Amino acid sequence: MFELLEHTADIGFRARARTLAELFETAAMALESIAVETEAIEPRQEYRLEATGEDHESLLVNWLSEVLYWMDGEQLAFHHFRVTEITATGVSGRGMGERRDPARHRAKLIVKAVTYHQLRVAETPEGWVAEVYLDI
Amino acid sequence: MPRYYQLESSDGIRYRIPREGQMRTDVVVYASAALLEHIKLDLSLEQAMNVATLPGIVGSSLAMPDIHQGYGFPIGGVAATDFEHGVVSPGGVGFDINCGVRLVRSGLTEQEVRPRLAELVEQVFQDVPCGTGGSGFVGVDQKQLEQVLVLGARWMVENGYGDRRDAEFAEAGGALDDADPRQVSEKAKKRGRPQLGTLGSGNHFLEIQYVETIHDDKAARAMGLQVGQVVVLIHSGSRGLGHQVCTDYLAQMGPAMKKYNITLPDRQLACVPIQSEEGQAYLGAMRAAANFAWANRQGIMHFLRRSFRKVFGAGARLELIYDVCHNIAKHERYEVDGKKRDVLVHRKGATRAYPPGHREIPLAYREVGQPVLIPGSMGTASWVLVGAEGAMRETFGSVCHGAGRLLSRTAAKKGRNAQEVKKKLEEMGIVVRSETRDGILEEIPEAYKDVDEVIEVVHRAGLARKVARLRPMGVIKG
Repeated sequence: MFELLEHTADIGFRARARTLAELFETAAMALESIAVETEAIEPRQEYRLEATGEDHESLLVNWLSEVLYWMDGEQLAFHHFRVTEITATGVSGRGMGERRDPARHRAKLIVKAVTYHQLRVAETPEGWVAEVYLDI
Repeated sequence: MPRYYQLESSDGIRYRIPREGQMRTDVVVYASAALLEHIKLDLSLEQAMNVATLPGIVGSSLAMPDIHQGYGFPIGGVAATDFEHGVVSPGGVGFDINCGVRLVRSGLTEQEVRPRLAELVEQVFQDVPCGTGGSGFVGVDQKQLEQVLVLGARWMVENGYGDRRDAEFAEAGGALDDADPRQVSEKAKKRGRPQLGTLGSGNHFLEIQYVETIHDDKAARAMGLQVGQVVVLIHSGSRGLGHQVCTDYLAQMGPAMKKYNITLPDRQLACVPIQSEEGQAYLGAMRAAANFAWANRQGIMHFLRRSFRKVFGAGARLELIYDVCHNIAKHERYEVDGKKRDVLVHRKGATRAYPPGHREIPLAYREVGQPVLIPGSMGTASWVLVGAEGAMRETFGSVCHGAGRLLSRTAAKKGRNAQEVKKKLEEMGIVVRSETRDGILEEIPEAYKDVDEVIEVVHRAGLARKVARLRPMGVIKG
């Protein structure tokens, strides 16, 4: 589950999940759906995704940056994500999706990058929450 | 987080926040009283105070009248650091390395273009790719891309994407020296390769405009500008290549800062010593990305020329007036407290503005000063200025870069629909084409500060002088 957040020049989202692994999956999907219309994306292929970091914050930024690279650099569109392993300094998982087809997966915004601006990753009594701002 | 600060001003145009806490210097904001009230609404001044904590900062942490909240650095911020002992901050350049503006003049008048405006806008929309569709760009192989990263706009000109004089009329001749493509990751190259010659989205645009008023005859003559003339403003940057370079180096900065014992109030400000291995690697990659951006704007101009010829015939000529970047860190030399200092000037949403006589200005403009191009919001106005002496004395040769956002993208979209906005703009004589529906709504004129007031501040402060006000006719957005 995620919602959009306001920023004068850009856009952000707040993601919530029961576990840290789910939080990373939800955040990746938030990124995908800010950039592209996701309705027609099909989970045809599996792509391996990995990232490392010094703490939860940098781990999340590096994970989302990796997802963004596959979206923009490798022209993929993701239907959903699965995190298979997550520690304090490493995350690995996969994205299920297909090659980007501009006709079926219309662009909404070109996301330039994932930022550290007011970044928050926290465990609360209700579960995990993350706030992330994107440069667009 | 918002915090308390004191603002002092003796002239109603320069506002000072005195040094306090971890700050190593003061903050100086250029603004009018009205603009200042807007500026105080977001975190931009707090961010300018954070910039004042950078190790080796020289002079003040500067904020231009179009300042708004960014990431780490405010957008509209300028900071110079000592070239030997100071730091370089990738956040002080931003994700869109060498995002910038290029102004092109046509030989056509508003009256000649107006009857065929819709056709022209449609043609440009078809010919200039925005980069979301994955086709239509300038195709280069890996080896050619490496050359683009070193030669910038010059590579484009040598390979048939421009006239010989085009590169000469870009800041730094359209390419920075000491670019190091080896420091650019394969990921960055992969993201950038299919995006050369594409506009991008967000606030990037291409605008067909006409000269509404001239405020400095001599400077306007030097630039070949006259009232009623049609010009085109191109606003774009280094696309995915630059974004990835910044992302890559920010990821390395955390561990490197520990090594150099640097602590900062905001992680996005991450920095390393300029003369460190990491600092030099970033600067080599940043320069390569900057060169990609100049090549990108040259590619867009090449496609634009094609559109004008298709609509107005083979005789329709477009000539480059100038090309300036507004996200960059450059090694420059200034007099500070009576001494010449070598500094790295970080311009984050700020434009270089050299005064008359500076040897880095093309000969055609040297007597009048460097052209400074300030895009306003869609539907209002843009400005051509020239740099003035005040910029050399006070702001490390820098001025503002735009109108500055007022409303967030989400707030801009609330309660509006794209069709209505388009219709309203058409009633004002402005034809808009956008790849994305949100592109129109997010960039509505109401989302920006009054560009005229921003310009008035830098003009009165003596940082730059007004030359011409431009009015939009056609807008192409990503």
